[in-house]
Amino acid sequence: MMGTMQAPALPDLVHGTADDLAAASLSLARHFSAGATMWCVAPDWPSHGRHVAVEFVHPVIVGKRALPSVSVDGPDVAAGLRQLVRPGDVLLVVSAADTVGVTDLLLRAGAWGLLSLWLGAGPRPVSPRADHTVWLEAADPVVAARGGDMVLLYHLLWELTHVVLEHRGLIDEPEPAACADDVCVTCSDEGRITEVRAVLDNGLVEVVSEGRAERVDASLVDAPVPGSLLLVHAGVAISEIRGEAP
Amino acid sequence: MTDEPTAFLYPFIESEERDVAALLAELADSAEAKILESLTLRTVTLEGCHDQVASIGAVMADRFAAGGRLFAFGNGGSSTDAEGAVDLFRRPPHGRPLPALSLVDDRAVLTALANDVGFDLVYSRQLIAHARAGDMALGFSTSGDSPNLLAGFEEAARRGLVTIGLCGYEGGAMARSEAVQHCVVVRSQSVHRIQEAQAAVLHELWSVVQGHMDQKGGGGS
Repeated sequence: MMGTMQAPALPDLVHGTADDLAAASLSLARHFSAGATMWCVAPDWPSHGRHVAVEFVHPVIVGKRALPSVSVDGPDVAAGLRQLVRPGDVLLVVSAADTVGVTDLLLRAGAWGLLSLWLGAGPRPVSPRADHTVWLEAADPVVAARGGDMVLLYHLLWELTHVVLEHRGLIDEPEPAACADDVCVTCSDEGRITEVRAVLDNGLVEVVSEGRAERVDASLVDAPVPGSLLLVHAGVAISEIRGEAP
Repeated sequence: MTDEPTAFLYPFIESEERDVAALLAELADSAEAKILESLTLRTVTLEGCHDQVASIGAVMADRFAAGGRLFAFGNGGSSTDAEGAVDLFRRPPHGRPLPALSLVDDRAVLTALANDVGFDLVYSRQLIAHARAGDMALGFSTSGDSPNLLAGFEEAARRGLVTIGLCGYEGGAMARSEAVQHCVVVRSQSVHRIQEAQAAVLHELWSVVQGHMDQKGGGGS
C-alpha cells in the first residue's frame, strides 16, 4: 500500500474536466490559427508557467508546429503584459482559485481583448472571470501542482490543441460569443469592464475595452488613474471594479 | 504502457470536418483516455518503486538532518520539474522546510557556463562551486541520456553527494551510470506521461522525507 500516496479522485477528475479541456483546446487552436500568442502566468507556481510555454514552443513530438507561448512572472505581471499583449492573444493562468492577483489579471485580460484560460485545482472559483476554466475540483491544490495532475492538464491542452489544428474546416468557424455576467455587452445591460489608459480633461478618461481604445465619461468615478478597472455602460463609467474580494 | 504516438493526432474522418460537436466529443474521449493512462502509470510506478523511494527518502532525511542540501537540475520541461521539486522541499504546504537549490534558476550562471565551457558542463560546474560532501543531487530527465545531467551526476558522486536520478523509457545512460546511485525509472514511451509520473514519484519522495523528519523532531512547523 502507498501510505502517503494521494491519488486523484478518479471520476471527478475525468468527467467534466475532459469536456472542459476539449472546449478550451478548440478556442485555443482557433486563436493560435488567427495569430495569437499565448501568455502563461502561474503566480504561485512559476515553474508551471515555464513548463506550459516550453511545451508549446518546443513540442515533444518532432514535426509538430512550434506555437508562440511565453511565460511571464515577476513582481508586476500585469504591467508587463499590458505592454506585450495584442487583442486576440491568449492568457493562460495556472493557479488555485484564491491565488492573489489572478481575478484582477483575468478582468484586465478581458479589457485587453484576450481569450482567457484558467487551469487549477481545489475548490472551484465561485465566479471565474475566465472564458474557459478547467478545474480539478477533487484534488488538493498543492498535491495537484506537485504530484502530476496540473502538468497532465496542460499536456492534454497541448495535445488536443494540435488535434484541432489538423482540422482547418473547424478552425475557421466563428467562436460563439462568451458571456459572463456583467461583462457581456451583447446580452446584458450591466456594462463591460474596461481599463483606464489615460486620464483626460473634463472628467473624461481613455479606456481600453476588448482591446480597443475609447473615451468615456468617468465623472461618476472617484479619481480613476491609469490601470483602474471601470465598469462602463453606454459611454459612462458607472463604477470602479476591484479585482480581488476583500 | 501503450503510448505515444501519433495516432491520436489523426483520429477523424473527413466527413466530420465541419462538425464541431463531433470534434469536441472526440477530443473529450481522447482526454479521458489519456487521463486514465496517466493515473494508471502513476499508480503502477509508485507501487513499483515503493521500496526504492522508501530507502532514498531515508537517506535524504539523514542527510538533511545532518545539514545536507539538495541540488536539483534538468533540461527543458524537466528543468521546471527540478524547480518544482525545490519549491516543494523549501516551501512545503506542511511539515519542515528543507534546504534545496535549483541549478537552472540563475540565467546569468547558466548562460555564462554554456557560452564559456559548453552546455554539457552547466550543472557539473555549479556543483564544483557549491557542493559539499553530505549534500544531495537530484536530476530529472525523460530520456536518461542528457550529457549535462550525466556530467553533473559524475561530479556530484566524486564530491560525496548522494545522487538520485529520475528518468523514463528504459532508463537510458542514467540507469547504467555508476554515478547515479539511485535511479527511478518511469517505464513509459511518452515524454508527457513520464513527466507526470515523475512528479508523482517526487511528491511521494518528499512525503517520505517529511515522515522521517517528523520522527527526528525539532524544527518542525
